[in-house]
Amino acid sequence: MSRRIALVEDDAALRANYSDALVRQGYEITAYANRPDAIAAFRLRLPDLAIIDIGLGRDQDAGFALCRDLRALSATVPIIFLTARDSEIDIVSGLRLGADDYLTKDISFAHLLARIAALFRRLDAMQERGSSEEVLERGDLRVDLRRFTMYWKGAAVDLTLTEFWIVHALARFPGHVKDRDQLMKDAELVVDDATITSHIKRIRRKFAELDVSFDRIDTVYGMGYRWKA
Amino acid sequence: MRLRLPALSLRLRLALLSLALLALPWFGYRYVREMERFLLDAQLQTLLGTARAVATALHDRPGLVDVPAAAAQAGADNTRQQAEALLQQLAVESQLPPDLQPQHESSLPGSPLAREPVAPLRDEVRSAEIAAILKGLERTTSRIWVVNRRYRLLALAGELRRPNAPAAEQALSRRFMEWLIPPPREDFDEAAPDDVLATGKEIANALQGLPGTRMRTSPDGLAVIMSAAHPVWSGDEVLGAVVVEETTNSILTVRKLALERLLVVTLAVFAVAAAALMWFAFRVSSRIIRLRDEAEAAIDARGRITGLVSGQRSSDEIGDLSRSFSSVLSRLSQQQAYLETLADRLSHELRTPVAVVRSSLENLRASLPEQTAQTYIVRAEEGLARLSAILNRMTEATRLEQSLHSADREDYEMSAVVSACVSGYRSAWPQTAFELELPAGTVPVRGSPDLLAQLLDKLVDNAVDYSTAGQPVRIVLHRLEQRVQLSVVNAGPLLAEGLAARLFNAMVSLREGDQGGGLHLGLGLYVARLIAEFHGGRIAALNRPDGSGVEMRVTLPMAVAGVP
Repeated sequence: MSRRIALVEDDAALRANYSDALVRQGYEITAYANRPDAIAAFRLRLPDLAIIDIGLGRDQDAGFALCRDLRALSATVPIIFLTARDSEIDIVSGLRLGADDYLTKDISFAHLLARIAALFRRLDAMQERGSSEEVLERGDLRVDLRRFTMYWKGAAVDLTLTEFWIVHALARFPGHVKDRDQLMKDAELVVDDATITSHIKRIRRKFAELDVSFDRIDTVYGMGYRWKA
Repeated sequence: MRLRLPALSLRLRLALLSLALLALPWFGYRYVREMERFLLDAQLQTLLGTARAVATALHDRPGLVDVPAAAAQAGADNTRQQAEALLQQLAVESQLPPDLQPQHESSLPGSPLAREPVAPLRDEVRSAEIAAILKGLERTTSRIWVVNRRYRLLALAGELRRPNAPAAEQALSRRFMEWLIPPPREDFDEAAPDDVLATGKEIANALQGLPGTRMRTSPDGLAVIMSAAHPVWSGDEVLGAVVVEETTNSILTVRKLALERLLVVTLAVFAVAAAALMWFAFRVSSRIIRLRDEAEAAIDARGRITGLVSGQRSSDEIGDLSRSFSSVLSRLSQQQAYLETLADRLSHELRTPVAVVRSSLENLRASLPEQTAQTYIVRAEEGLARLSAILNRMTEATRLEQSLHSADREDYEMSAVVSACVSGYRSAWPQTAFELELPAGTVPVRGSPDLLAQLLDKLVDNAVDYSTAGQPVRIVLHRLEQRVQLSVVNAGPLLAEGLAARLFNAMVSLREGDQGGGLHLGLGLYVARLIAEFHGGRIAALNRPDGSGVEMRVTLPMAVAGVP
């Protein structure tokens, strides 16, 4: 059974292009141009994954409202924001509404598909509830590569997919400095330096919420970041 | 060459203008002089009047004034000498205190003419009669004589000096005033000079039948004496003359008082007017200064525009200026807001079509397997990547400003950050040499180490681009008193005149005519400025004094006193 992906995008050309590309990968796509259509369809049947643009038509924040509605219908459906807006405020508020990832429209198909695949894998792994062999242990950090989840001292850290990949890239080789370009590649992210910095800041904050003394992510000025063993 | 006036503040100019008030006492002085002349004139007329009155009393009494035949034969010269001697003697004696004067004077009270040495020269009876007439006219401040045709002094009454007021203990201000405007003196030499009679034009005139007046100084020059002479007629014949003398001291006293009052009043007026002018100047200039400060601060370091507050409600020209300034600023601020959002909106608006092109290309790549088509698709995608990068840069400054708003400040060691950064640059630009100079001791600053690294990135990026090949880029951290100075120096082309100041504004680029592949919207140094200002410091670009290259200098305040 193919996965059903809902695409909510107001630009017709973009909607068609993304649909074509996803169909080519074997996904089943239903595309919506506005929020009422989308929410009506979600109420009838939940998609397996939703890709949502924030600005829909005249309503600049329709995507946020739609995300909130969808999250109310299901706590587990992966939601990806795919938008032209890249301001810090938009990213933070998008993620706060329960989105699993926040991507700008600069992203290539390959990166988008990788993220979709990863989110589906995480969904599957959650449902399997079996023990995973793909686990990375770094001291107090436990990285479950199948479920895309991370645990710090046994407690789950609520990371987005982008953040998960950044921490994973750092923790894989503790002590090695990863520069921003490498991190972007590992996280399959097309963003600028400032965005990496704010991602790192958010990751530190999320760990710090679990453990105030968390200091494993080290800034190496002029070079990048590293995971302190 | 044009004459350059020294820069004068508004306050100073008004203070200088208030000096014009000093003309006031001068005009007052002129007025007092005018009045004095008028009074002197009036006094002269009064003297003449007195002389006429006395003469009138003696008119047609030839028996009183007539010259005895013997004396007439003695010759004019002799008679005149006698008269002068007599006049002098009389004057000297009248200076004596009354109790020391000869006793017989009481028999003819008020008249010094009844004395022994004078007796041989005149007829006692006649003189006593004249003296009795004069006695009635005697005034304390005037002296009246009667002479006959042969210059023979027939009678004398009164004296020139005024009674002196007892010298009371005087206040300092009073003494200063006396020094400034000396009062008329009463201790002048009262005696008539030898030639008073001989050269007295007024007497000569009077004896010719014409009333005359004259002003002369006392022999010691301390007082001015005016005299008026009037002929005494008997029928058509002049029998003699009446001479009335008085000093100008009473008028001088009036003048002195007027001058004193003038001085005090003008000083007071000057003080009040000068104070009012100064207060006014101070108010105006402080309002202007406040307006200027506000106008300067109206556009802050980040180009944000705030309104003006001061003088908005006042109805004068400064209020007008403030209001028109405000309206200019508000128009400017609208324009600024438009420009600020333009880059953002542009980048947002462009992102969607770029995404359409990108996704179309990727779909095209999947459906067109031919090699030639792939080449073009790759090129199109490269172009698109550059376009995306441009769009990202366009919003970089705005995003940085947003993140600065929420950025946390912490104390950190600057030299550690700088040296870590430099070792990063050495691996990032292996073909460029980096020289690093760190100060001994710690350099603590308050801010964000991430942002400082970003600032240094921008400066080093810039320096490497402009550096002459083979020349090192020098990064110097230098401790000043309470501040720390970070310099990034590169050898290479100098900055154009006037560019250094604008360099750190948004959208100003050094790279004129640079066709290189690097992407520069001129935001790099603007971002550096934002970060320097976030740290409470400043950034400046300057050419090296030796002309070898360019130095970017960041000065930040130190957090706490570091260890030297």
